[in-house]
Amino acid sequence: MGYTLAEKLLASHTNDGKATAGDIVEANVDLLMVHEVLGSRILGVLEEMEFKKVWDPERIVVVNDHWAPASDINSAEIHRRNRNFVKDQGITHFYDVDCGISHHVLPEKGLIVPGELVIGSDSHSTTYGAFNTFSTGLAATDSALILATGSCWFRVPDSIRIDVTGELQDMVMSKDLILKIISDLGPDGANYQSMEFHGDTIDTMKVGERMTISNMSVEAGAKCAPMTVNGHVNKWMETLAPSKRWKPTLPDKDAEYIDTRTYDIKSDPLGPMVATPDSPTNGKAVREVSGVPIDQAFIGSCTNGRIGDLEIAAKILKGKKIREGVRLIITPASKHTWMMALERGLLKIFMEAGGIVTNSTCGACVGGHLGVLGAGEVCISSTNRNFKGRMGHQDSRIYLASPATVAASALMGAITDPRSV
Amino acid sequence: MTKELKPVTGRAWVFGNDVNTDQIIQGQYLTLLDYAEMAKHTFEIPRPVFKSKVKKNDIVIAGRNFGGGSSREEAPKVLLQSGIGCVVAESFARIFYRNGFNVGLPLLIIPNVAKLVSDGETVIVDLIEGTLSVRSSGDVLHGKPLPSRMLNLLKEGGAVAWYKQSSGKH
Repeated sequence: MGYTLAEKLLASHTNDGKATAGDIVEANVDLLMVHEVLGSRILGVLEEMEFKKVWDPERIVVVNDHWAPASDINSAEIHRRNRNFVKDQGITHFYDVDCGISHHVLPEKGLIVPGELVIGSDSHSTTYGAFNTFSTGLAATDSALILATGSCWFRVPDSIRIDVTGELQDMVMSKDLILKIISDLGPDGANYQSMEFHGDTIDTMKVGERMTISNMSVEAGAKCAPMTVNGHVNKWMETLAPSKRWKPTLPDKDAEYIDTRTYDIKSDPLGPMVATPDSPTNGKAVREVSGVPIDQAFIGSCTNGRIGDLEIAAKILKGKKIREGVRLIITPASKHTWMMALERGLLKIFMEAGGIVTNSTCGACVGGHLGVLGAGEVCISSTNRNFKGRMGHQDSRIYLASPATVAASALMGAITDPRSV
Repeated sequence: MTKELKPVTGRAWVFGNDVNTDQIIQGQYLTLLDYAEMAKHTFEIPRPVFKSKVKKNDIVIAGRNFGGGSSREEAPKVLLQSGIGCVVAESFARIFYRNGFNVGLPLLIIPNVAKLVSDGETVIVDLIEGTLSVRSSGDVLHGKPLPSRMLNLLKEGGAVAWYKQSSGKH
């Protein structure tokens, strides 16, 4: 039998070149991303390990993104520790509080390379699967071990193949598609597994749209969410990482999948989706929840804070005013995204509509700052998790949707189908 | 220096399916630098009484997919800090499973455990045998014995101790 993308991508990083689903392998990591977890937790683990030097200062990326700029004294201390570590260890790639969200900044800086094994101290590290990588999230101790050794053990995952064919309709986004897919799978439907995406929908999708899909696959428990390289990824690499040498990895034709799921959105068109509290896998058609009043609408995060997301929101909001009493918060995913939005006039549209544009950070998505919810408040959000208390008070409620649905809802003050405004 | 893995005896705190890491420890507490301070907020949303009632060696029992969501290692750490002796669930989310053993918190998988154990009951968990016994009834539930890699991590006292052992630091 042949091999899946996950198997082939991992096999190219083991010493014997082998990786079959179910095996436990030791693999060599190409790139490790750590954020505030470095200062808050990893440094303590490194101390216990009597650690001296990182395995390779050019293969480690440090990002201060979650509470950027510092939201309180503790986060300020964490950022300070990260800066000192970067200096002491001579880390090449450091993105401080002015840069934006790791999962968007790394690809934008050309650091995510097809075929590579990328680990992040953050569960949404599955995002880089959109670039034909094996990428996954681990926590402080595993990150500390990788910092010291450059390698890590993995159980080679089984793979679920997901084929999507057809074109997304107007005002329907890749977010709606992934909300549908993970709702069909459930919160542990892909636990320990790789979600491997194929089909002409994925093959023609822009990079940002693909990243949304790989990003949210973790909400069904997926370990990684690799895709094959398409024309948009090729173009992205040529533009943003011209010096990198790489070749695409394809699954074998006779690869073994534990499940294959097909979505034909041509014959069965997909509409906008909303995930109701308190799980991202509670996806429903927008009509089932339209009219639910909202206090806050948030567009941002590693899931949907990219330029394409801001453009569709601006298209809906242009020349209009959001409903009185509703807060619309826009947090572009990176400084570069912010600048593009500025140059294209999007920020002006948001401000004139009554919105608030913040600096680039995880911010409201983790309930950190810049849009924390109070008791009983309802938020519609373009982010990835609507767990109880995720964005603030435990009695607040979060509905997840695409940036288009969030923008339309901000206008009406209630959950609204973006095709209706 | 390997530890002997003795059975854990304690009271059961029973939870349902899909208890995610935000329910174990909310994101807003992650900037707290002291684990003892952070542990005061363990299970704050699903079980507000937990922090005042938990005792050493108490056991968390849960349904499917315990520990999903964020990769935060703070989740198993605050359970350890609270005195939890082990977690027995019907299944665990991937990253939580790794994190638990890395920090030295034993995790055992037993089918239907959350339906078969009542909250507050005293139970005895044998990690080597992969069993849970209910003290009052004498009922014994059988799970999967721990994979050898995970058992070895626990015996060493977690991933850091294992690293130091294997790299010859001690």
